[in-house]
Parts: sequence; structure tokens; C-alpha cells
Amino acid sequence: MPVPEGTAARCKRCDAVLFQNRPASLRRATAFAITALILLVLVHFFPFLTMDAAGMRRTLNLTSATIALMDQGSVLVGLGVGLFTVVMPMIMASGLIFVCGPLIFGRIAPGAFTVARWLSRMEPWNMIEVFVLAVLVSLLKIAKVADVHFGIGFYLFCILMLCMAAAVSGIDRDELWDRLEVARGKK
Amino acid sequence: MKDILASAEELPRGIDQNLAGCHICGKASPTSLEHCPRCGSHLHLRKPHSIQRTLALLAAAAIFYIPANLLPIMTIVEVGEVTKATIIEGMINFWKAGAYPIAIVIFTASILIPLLKIIALCWLCAAASGRLHPSPKALSRIYLITELLGRWSMVDIFVVGILVALAQLGNYMTVTIGPGALAFGCVVIVTMFSAMSFDPRLLWDRMLAEQSQSSNHPQPLERTDPNS
Repeated sequence: MPVPEGTAARCKRCDAVLFQNRPASLRRATAFAITALILLVLVHFFPFLTMDAAGMRRTLNLTSATIALMDQGSVLVGLGVGLFTVVMPMIMASGLIFVCGPLIFGRIAPGAFTVARWLSRMEPWNMIEVFVLAVLVSLLKIAKVADVHFGIGFYLFCILMLCMAAAVSGIDRDELWDRLEVARGKK
Repeated sequence: MKDILASAEELPRGIDQNLAGCHICGKASPTSLEHCPRCGSHLHLRKPHSIQRTLALLAAAAIFYIPANLLPIMTIVEVGEVTKATIIEGMINFWKAGAYPIAIVIFTASILIPLLKIIALCWLCAAASGRLHPSPKALSRIYLITELLGRWSMVDIFVVGILVALAQLGNYMTVTIGPGALAFGCVVIVTMFSAMSFDPRLLWDRMLAEQSQSSNHPQPLERTDPNS
């Protein structure tokens, strides 16, 4: 049964979405993933938050939470934070480019199937949007003792969050696998 | 409920046709294959030892949940005054200070979601093993919601990380991470793995098995997975 572009099929039993045919899916996913990857690099060069209190100024970067936690001896928590906010998004974005990019031209990158398999396992561990919520909560938490300002890094990170969501949801998993299979058949 | 049952009966099942849906890419392939011909991952009719794994991870989560709530997740030293705050105390402080929206966010993300997730998964396991008989459609939805919401509990760990990095103001204010944070992080990670190892199709298997029992039409509904 064909599912027209821009619509979705649902499970007859539990009503969950089975398949969505999104417009220009491969191009969209690749474009947003490239943007996300560029932002992921850029975000390290700009401060996230700046705090002025008691005549001191402190700035926060994306990696400073990880570094500060590791400095205090909480290596595991620090590594976890770094993994979920820096490493996983990086892997997700580059993996999507690696799999979807060549598919636009009907080719498959070497090892694309393995990469795609790992991407679908990793998806829940990419916690960019949770980190954005955490920044907002911590801001409110220390707003009473210090002057806190958002830096360019935070705005970049918000755009990054949207790009990442657009890239990940830009292509339906089933469609991606179908396209990979078709491309392999042609070879 | 009746129309769901009727439609479920009409629908053909992969398990009856010896077809297994790949857990990763969703392709239906003959159960005799060991690996999915499309993506190469292991092929199972149902996730292997699903209930056992889910419950084992849940037990671990329940154990971590105790220190996560009893131990402080951070220590705040403000002008010489030391405050050790657990998750609940942090939330209560926000509430008392009049910051109701954040108090609600923290309450939902760090107390309600982990607790509801543990209860929901226990309930799902009970239903899948035939000890409870609620509607599978509602249960499947509960499963989808628990899987979606779980990651948001991580927000507290990130908040601690950000505060530790930001609030290092010498004698004026310092924040250090407490042992509760690691335990809470473990709760979140372990419940996420627990939700992933649950197979919602077991709920439908159970419903059909009970249906055929009550209508005295013995069907070969439960087959053993050759790969598990």
C-alpha cells in the first residue's frame, strides 16, 4: 500500500505511527545534519552563559560542565554528561551525513548498514534538548545570587537542537532502510 | 475494547507465518534466519528474555533510587553557610521561594518520571506475563510514553554539572557535586535500558492467547523462538 508524500501510516493495533513519508527526506536529513555538525564545532568557541557575582565573572562553555565535574573527582558523572551532550550529538550528526549523503546520489558508503544500525540504537542517548532545559533551570536557580546572561553559544545551541531534531526526524527509519536496500541491490 | 479485539483477530501476525520483524530496521524475515538480511542485526521473534531483563534492570533501578533520593546531589557553600541538598529538598526550596514552574519541572523530571517509569514497567511486565488484564492498546501507549519521557530525567544531572562549573566564586559561593548525583544518573540510565529491553508485542501475544483460551479454539500462539 503506497503512503503518499507528506502522510503517515499507523499501526492498526496500537495506533502508533508506522511509517511516514516525508517530503525531500534524504536531502533534508543531510542538510540539517551538516548544519548541526557545523554548529556543534562552532558552539565550543562561544560562551554559553556569563555570570557576574561578587565582582567575579565566570563563563560557561559546552564542555565546562564535564571538565568541572571531572576536576571535582566525579569522573563517571562528568564523562556521562560529556557523552550525552557532546559525543553522542557529534556521532549522530556525522553518522547521518555518512549514511544519507551518498544515498542522495543512489550510492551507499562503505559500512553504511553498520553505521545506520548503531544510529538507531544511539538515538535516545543524544540529549541536547535535555541540556537546554538544564541550562534554563540552572539559570533560574542562580539568578537570585548572580547576574546571568545568555551568550552566543546558548543561542547557537538552541538552533543546533532544532537542526538536530529536524535531521533525525527528517527521514523515516523505514524509508532509510528501504533506500539503503534498494541502493545495495543496484550495485 | 471489543472492536480492538475483533480487529486484532482479523490481522495476520508475523509469528503465525514464521516471520520475525527485525528489532532495528523493522524488516520481516523468515524466523529460520539468524541475522536480518537487510541490516545484519540478530533476528528474534520477540526480544529474548524480555520480561526477565526488564525486571532485572528495574530491580537495579529501584535499588539506585534509594541513595539517589536520600543522598545529597550537591553541596552549596554560600557565604560560609553549607547546604546539602537532595533532589526533593531542592524542589521544596524552589516551591518555597515561589518559583513554581521550576519546582514543577524538577518534580516531574526527577521524582515523578523515574517513579512512574518503574511502576509502569512493573505493570507492563505483570500484564505481559498474564497477571493483570488491562487493555493492550492503553498499555502500548504507556510503553511508548515511558520510552519517550525517560531521558528527560537526566536534566537534574546536567543542572548539577552546570552549577558546579558556573558557581565557583571562591568564598562567596561554591557548589560541589554530591554522591546522590551518580546514583540518580544510574537510575535514569538503567530505567532507559529497562524500557528498551521490554517487548510490547508480548502484551498482544498474551491477549490473543487468553482470547483463544476463552473461546476454546486452541491455536498455536506461543512458539518458542529458535534464536533465543
